[in-house]
Amino acid sequence: MPEPVSKVRLCLLGYVALSTYATGSSAISVEASAARKAASALIESVERSQALFGEKAAAISQLRALAIECNHENWDGYGATMIDPRAIFNAEAIVRALPIGVPLPEFAPEPDGSVSLDWIQSRTRQFSLSVGRSQRLAYAWLDGTDRGHAVATFDGSTIPPRVIEGILAIVKNGHSAIGTF
Amino acid sequence: MATLPSGLSDSVSDEEDLARFLTQSSHFTATLVKPAAFLPSPRDRETSVSRHGSEPREELWAIGLSAAGARNLYAAAIFKAQIVRAAQLEVVADEPPPRHAVIGGWPWDEADPELQKAKQKEIAAVIASQADLLRR
Repeated sequence: MPEPVSKVRLCLLGYVALSTYATGSSAISVEASAARKAASALIESVERSQALFGEKAAAISQLRALAIECNHENWDGYGATMIDPRAIFNAEAIVRALPIGVPLPEFAPEPDGSVSLDWIQSRTRQFSLSVGRSQRLAYAWLDGTDRGHAVATFDGSTIPPRVIEGILAIVKNGHSAIGTF
Repeated sequence: MATLPSGLSDSVSDEEDLARFLTQSSHFTATLVKPAAFLPSPRDRETSVSRHGSEPREELWAIGLSAAGARNLYAAAIFKAQIVRAAQLEVVADEPPPRHAVIGGWPWDEADPELQKAKQKEIAAVIASQADLLRR
């Protein structure tokens, strides 16, 4: 019985063909040249998406590992609440929603069952976002001698602009510890 | 001023070193302690610490292992009591166990838990930024 051709294999075949076309040099007409440029742009976009997805998938795996590690009461020995599955769900949504150009955070469990997403550049340059069961996000930052805190609402798909601005203000002179796009 | 069973004064001085034992590897980076390591327990609204500095090291880890129980003890954050008070929190002796103390006075607002958390995070970040990480 012949093996069914999967969608993945079809995509792969299409990608290989497109890639070969994009890097080929036999096209000489204006139209062929334009098509080759478009193919190159598409390839670049696909590869960038794959790189992005890979980094985010790794971050999401870390979050899930944290959820398992802290899936019981008193995980810290000081009376902490177990990590709320909704906090993990919301944190994953935030990771997925991070725009290109914003580094991925580090993660840490918090004693009230929330997850902290941290962008730490140095002792005095850090941005810490708390993700809990609700869609209201508590955050705080240190930026040299400046510091502050605030709350913003996450709609599940778009991170509030002032949160993004806050993160970028901290990381603009360097990179976070996990990864950068 | 009274003396506690540990031999320490019942009053924590500003110059005293405090240790927060870290049983989560995600509570610190290669060189720094993260704010989450200092957030208060929802059970008693306090952060538990020990009145001990980085030396003698063997004694520090012995206290830490006792506090950690069955959990892994990865590191300790060492900081002065003065840092806590400068952040508008209080630190008081709380024995037993010997050398135990608690950081209290964290902002608490049942009506707006996220705003309460944001305030706590800012304070925790200030303390973390002045703490030294001591890996085991």
